[in-house]
Parts: sequence; structure tokens; C-alpha cells
Amino acid sequence: MATTTSLKISADAEPRQAAWVRWLDLSDRSLAILLLAPAALLLALIIVYPVCRLAYTSFFSLSLTSGLPAEFVGFENYQLMIDDPVFWETTWNTVLITLITVPGALIVGLGLALMANLPFRTQWPVRLSLLIPWALPLSFAGLIFAWFFHSEYGVVNDILNRVGLPGIIWFNSPNWAFAAICLTIIWKTSSFMALIILAGLQTIPRSLYEAADVDGAGRFRQFFEITLPLLKPSIVVALIFRTITSLQTFDIPYMMTGGGPGTSTATLAMYIHQNTVSFLDLGYGSALAVVMFALSMCVTAVYLRMIRTKE
Amino acid sequence: MNRNIRAAALACATIVSFAAPALADTELKIYISSQHQPNIWRKAIDQYEAKTPGVKVTIETGGNTSEAQAQYLNTVMSAKDPSLDVLILDVIRPAQFAAAGWTSDVEGKDLSSYLPAYAEANTVGGKTVALPAFADAQFLYYRKDLLDKYGIQPPKSWDELKTAAKTITDGEKNPNLQGLSFQGKAIEGAVCTFLLPYWSQGKALTNNGRLSFDHDAAVKSLALWKSFADDGTAKKNIAEVATDDTRKEFQAGNVVFAVNWSYAWAQSQGAESAVAGKVGVARLPAMAGGESATCLGGWEWGVSAFSAHQDEAKKLVAYLSSPEVSKFMAINASLLPTYADLYKDGDVTKAAPWFADALQVVETAKPRPVTPRYNEVSETIRTTVNAVLAGVSTPEEGASQIESRLKRILR
Repeated sequence: MATTTSLKISADAEPRQAAWVRWLDLSDRSLAILLLAPAALLLALIIVYPVCRLAYTSFFSLSLTSGLPAEFVGFENYQLMIDDPVFWETTWNTVLITLITVPGALIVGLGLALMANLPFRTQWPVRLSLLIPWALPLSFAGLIFAWFFHSEYGVVNDILNRVGLPGIIWFNSPNWAFAAICLTIIWKTSSFMALIILAGLQTIPRSLYEAADVDGAGRFRQFFEITLPLLKPSIVVALIFRTITSLQTFDIPYMMTGGGPGTSTATLAMYIHQNTVSFLDLGYGSALAVVMFALSMCVTAVYLRMIRTKE
Repeated sequence: MNRNIRAAALACATIVSFAAPALADTELKIYISSQHQPNIWRKAIDQYEAKTPGVKVTIETGGNTSEAQAQYLNTVMSAKDPSLDVLILDVIRPAQFAAAGWTSDVEGKDLSSYLPAYAEANTVGGKTVALPAFADAQFLYYRKDLLDKYGIQPPKSWDELKTAAKTITDGEKNPNLQGLSFQGKAIEGAVCTFLLPYWSQGKALTNNGRLSFDHDAAVKSLALWKSFADDGTAKKNIAEVATDDTRKEFQAGNVVFAVNWSYAWAQSQGAESAVAGKVGVARLPAMAGGESATCLGGWEWGVSAFSAHQDEAKKLVAYLSSPEVSKFMAINASLLPTYADLYKDGDVTKAAPWFADALQVVETAKPRPVTPRYNEVSETIRTTVNAVLAGVSTPEEGASQIESRLKRILR
């Protein structure tokens, strides 16, 4: 009801309707529905349908290797998940990667953005170097860093040896392998953070800093009292994107360690891939994917709430 | 006018004569992994095309490891894509592909002329689901020159190997020389790494598709490999080593003993090899008191269930699996035949003299568990082997993990 009135008001404000609307003799409400329909349909087709289908499949025992027809099993796949230590391990690894790499990429990204915003005479080399890690495909970054961290031929161990430190067999220990993966993810994703923050930085009027200069505020104070508060919206947007992609981390650990040693660096997305693509267990894989979807939704909801209270 | 009619008739005749053979031609597409020398298979297929008018065969390649190949085919086949007619499959996969309904049965083929292990690997529930392409097995590669120098015979047990490796590496004083290279990375090869000493203690992993797990034998197997990593016989980063790493290190002259498949031999004799002419191949060592065991490898030809040319595809597969092609591939590509008598064939032994000794090894090679859920079995074993070698789990924990997970998969 409320929508109709508000539409009426807006229609009153703009009394001249297009000729074809008058010709079709449409009410404002039908017109709104008509115009929104294609977008809504497309959205339903590419988002709502697959998600519903995924949830539906997760209630079936559907394994292409069993040769058996799909059978409705209710919550059995979810029950299996609770008893599955690999599910908990991969979920924990995913959360840990998020907790380490999101703040890590934020700090590095903020630094890079501030640097790129400095009044250099020519700024394109700085901005280009920001774009390169962002533009590189994830799996390619994983492949390059797998070589960097290789215990015998890698450049990282070579540098360690040159400064007199012993080389590390990175992928032979869960902790070092995890560290190598997190460093790679931070390298790969901080430039994305920097790009969004840089856009935010450029919307801050110079006059604010000039006024602060007049008032005698130092660089440090200017950063905390002007830059950071005004950057908050850009930072939150960057955090939302980064956190969601982090929950879906797949390519970099897949290329660097394949989840090893053992399953100690495997992520939830890798476990979903393994169950669906390698084991062809579509029922269990769908149930896992539903959990990941729910996790992403929760995180987004928290962030959106954060923005609302901030405003 | 008359001339115009004649020209039109000629044009029609030309169109018909070009169109007719095009209509009769059957286009078959065959998938061969890139590491399996598709260029030499191409020559065998050229001969087939020459004597089978109306059939054209194109080759699609890709996937240079068994896992990469399987992942590609999993995607194509689960989409019921009809573009591939014939597929090359790792010996562990025909059962899975048949259960998923991805391959069609090859009816009326007598498998008794093949080596028994391959007849078995391609038979699921009494039906022939694929035909053998070539055989394979793991062998112990060793540096004949170094063993001769120290007066050591090829080791019969893993303990002997450990002592021999220590004597040679201590004597050579070369920091780059390692005693033994095997596969510790979480790849298919690591499944065989686990099974070699396990089988060698006379234990089986499955019995009629059911799990028959021997916990103590599994602990001993994992402990054996871990001891090689701990006492310096193998490199400290052995958990990073894949099959082709072993081949490269051995070929560069940095390894005394290596566990590898037959493909490594041809390359170790090649122009780029530092050890050409210095390589010996023997059966793999056994556990103390046990018998030597090796992992059965090899590849098979399957006909896609989604192919629109079932009869033609089956005829092509029968040809590719025939003794004449097997001999051609043995001579030209050093691929082990699946027919016993070819190992004594004069032309074959002239091209690859070591084949004469390989038959005994291939004949006693054991197949990995035949089950449609093999991918899960494999993943369980290979990640555990990798975790034990990296020191994440102890051999006891590893054996318990394998047991509890295999119980769920093979219930």
C-alpha cells in the first residue's frame, strides 16, 4: 500500500507521462512492475534459482560414482558434516585465513593508497604497480608464489640464505605453509583494497587539510581526525568485498600446497571442489556449499548493519 | 543453351562427388593425455585410417597428470558431452567410469589373451568396460656404476637398500647425492608409496570390494618411509617430491636409488641424461621376511557412452588394443605391452632389451583397489602419506586415519 502512495506522490510531482504510457493506459504501479520485471527475472534466473537448486540437492544422496539414483535423505548430509573432522578443519582454516589476511590486506592496502595519493609529479607508475597484482589471475599468483617458496629453487629461501638465515621447507610444515599462503593472499589482495581506498581518499576535499594546517594540527592528527573518519565508508566497502572473497579462498592454496601437508592448509572451498568434482558426491558437496553460502550471508549482514549504525 | 545445361550438370556432379564421401565419413575424436606420446599414437591411427575408409580420427590432448586428466574427463562426462568418442583412462578408473554410466560395455571380446591383471582391471560385474592400451609397473632404478664401484648387489630388502645407500653416499662425499627418491607429495604416486611395503608384508587392502585393513602393516609401511626421511636416506623435503621430480633428480645424477614407473627408463637413456648407460632396473625391495610387491599401472581405452558413433568407436578401440598396435607402441614409444608373448618378441627386445626382464615384474604387480569410489580411497591414502612424511601425523595416527576413513568409503 505504502509503495503505491509514494509512487502516486512522485507521479504527481511529474505530471507529464510519456506518450506510450498513456497509450498503454498503465497505472504507475503496473508500469513499475513492468520496468522491473526483466531485471527481477534475470536475477531470479542467475541467482535465486541456482541457490534454491543447491539447497534442494543438499537434501539428496546424489553420488555419480555409486550408480544409484538420487534418493531423498533429509538432513543426512548435514549430519555427516557435523561428524566430519575434515569439514571442521577446512572451515577453521578458512576462518583463520580470513582473520589474518583481511586485516593484513587492509593495513597494507591503506599504506599503498596513502602512498599513491602523495603528490608525485607523475602518478601513473605508482597506480600501474597497484593494478598489476590486482589484475593477475589468482591461480597464476598461486603458481608464481609456489615457486618463490620452493625449498630448493625458491627465491625466498635464497634471500634467507644470503642474509645468513637457514632456508625453510615451507610446504613441509603446516604453520610455514599457512604463513606462505597468507603472505601471498595479502600481496594479491591488498592492491584491490588500495584501489578502493584511493578512490575514497580523492573525495576528501583539500580545504579540510588546509583548514587543519591553519589550526596547527600535525600530519598525525590530520590523519586520525580527517582522513580515517572520512575514509570509513570506502574501508567498509573494501572489507565487505575482501571478507566474502576470503571466505571463498580456493585458487592460491590450491596452486601452492594443494591443501597439504596432509589437509592442514585446505579451505572449505577446496573441500567443496574435492567432493563435487573429484568424488562426484553432489549431495554432500551441495550441503557444504549451502554452509559456505550461509556463512557469507551472515558476514554481509553484519557489515551492512555496521554501515547502518555508522550513518 | 546446350552448353549451359552441360555446365549445370557438371556442377551438380561435382557437388555430389564431393558431398558423397563427406556424408559417409565418420569423425571420431579420441582423448589421449599429453604425457602418453599422442604423436606416436597418431602414427598407429594413420594406419587405421588408411585401411578403414570412411573413418577420420582426430586426437584431443590435455592433462599431464592422472589427476588433471581425470578432472577434465569428469567435467566433460558429467555434462554428457558427446564430443569425445574414445578416452584413455588410468587403470584405476574404468570401474568408476562404468559405475557412473560414462563408458559403454565392449561386448563379445575375449580378454584371455591379455595379461590377467589387465583383463581383471577392465572387467566390472562380469562385463568388459574398457580394453587395455598399455601396461606399466613401478621398478627400482639404481646407479649401476655406483653399485659396481662399491661392490654392492641391487638390494632385495628395504633394510639392505638403506645400508647400501649409506655406504655409497658416505663414500661419494657429494652433498647433492641422495640415497633414495620416492613420491611423498599428495599425488596418485603416494598411494603406491604406501601400498608397496604394505603389500610386501602379505597384506591386502580390500577383499572382494570390502576393506581388509591390517593396522600393524600400515604402521610399518608409513614408519618405513618416515625413517628414510628422518635418517637422511631421502631428502628432508621428500613430502614435496612428485613422480617427475624423482625422474629429473635421478636423470641429473643426484640419486642412487629411485622408485619410478617404466617411462623414466627411456628418458634416463636420452641425450639429456647425465646417467645414460649407468642405469640398472630391478624389482622393488621387500620388507624383511616379506615378498617384493609393486603397483600395477597402465592405461585403458574406453568408449564414451555419449558418443554418437558407438560401433565405429568400438572398432577403433579393438584396433588400438590389438597385439599389432601393442607391438608398434612397444617398439616406437617404449610402452610396455599387455600381451605376454610380446615381451619375448625379437623386434621388441631389440628396441628395448630390458623388456625381457619387465614381464615378471608386470605379472606380479598388484592392482590398487577396484572400486567406483577410488578417488576417495586415493585421496585418503595420499594425504595421509604426505602428512606423515611432513611430520604432521605419526605413523600410528596415519594408519588409524586411513583405517577410519576407508571404513566409511568402502562400507
